[in-house]
Amino acid sequence: MKKTLSLIAVLIFFSTSLFAQGFKVKASGDQTFNFADRGGRNQATFFSTTPLEDINGLTNDVKGTVTFNVSDLKTLKGKISVSVASIKTGIDLRDEHLRSEDWLNASANPEITFTIKNVSNLKVLEDNKLEAKVTGDITINGVTKEVTSDATLTFLDESEMTKSRAPGDLLGVQAKFKVRLSEFGVKNKIIGQKVAEIVEVGVNMVGSNAN
Amino acid sequence: MNKNQKIILIVGLLLIAVILIYWQTQGGDILTKTQVQVEKVDELFNTTYMEWEDKFVLGLDYAGTASAVIAVLSGILIFLFRNKKQEKQ
Repeated sequence: MKKTLSLIAVLIFFSTSLFAQGFKVKASGDQTFNFADRGGRNQATFFSTTPLEDINGLTNDVKGTVTFNVSDLKTLKGKISVSVASIKTGIDLRDEHLRSEDWLNASANPEITFTIKNVSNLKVLEDNKLEAKVTGDITINGVTKEVTSDATLTFLDESEMTKSRAPGDLLGVQAKFKVRLSEFGVKNKIIGQKVAEIVEVGVNMVGSNAN
Repeated sequence: MNKNQKIILIVGLLLIAVILIYWQTQGGDILTKTQVQVEKVDELFNTTYMEWEDKFVLGLDYAGTASAVIAVLSGILIFLFRNKKQEKQ
């Protein structure tokens, strides 16, 4: 009987260790990170192709918050938003077209949002660095669809180095996923060029848990 | 072809060659850009990120138009500088 109980206790211990994967850092408990960008470091990018040339879009107007338990990243919840009007592709005329009704309709839908629903396939890379698949609802052009992104999260305890960026602990997030334009009611033509149906999206941002 | 016409032809071809070579050295893009993305290193997180940098990159749209204008102007000048005496004979 004792052996059985000991075995169960060991199994519970290991299963908890296996399923509750998180950061091994100084901070503990629930933490909320704000991605308010003071230095223009946060960014969302997109990459697409046309028969003539590739299109690289970029915006630094990315903001939002995420909350999670430091020792269990599966508790991750939050929302990230990107201002449509701020997206640039390097050509002013093309940017105007991107904001038009045929594309992202910036006047009616000024923001692209991503609301985190769940986290899976967690993989510990280092004590303060994890890889995961983050699933959430993305809203583009007023249409909401579920997407799963490959994300890397890095937790930095507050130090003299991090203070130069922002007060508090820092959370770095790099994520990428693909979206199909037709699913979001986007007519994939831009200044007469046929744009690839699938667009690669990337997010690279840093948040702080300081109030 | 007289001397003036030859000079116009050579100058025209040279200008077009310079424009097209410059266009190629700029990357040979189709569309002209006023900003380009440059990769930066985030030493704190050991990652890279992109930033916009103001830079004029000549595309084939402008390079081609400029070359076509030079070709047309050269053609007009070559026509205007034709040897009228020879034509009359």
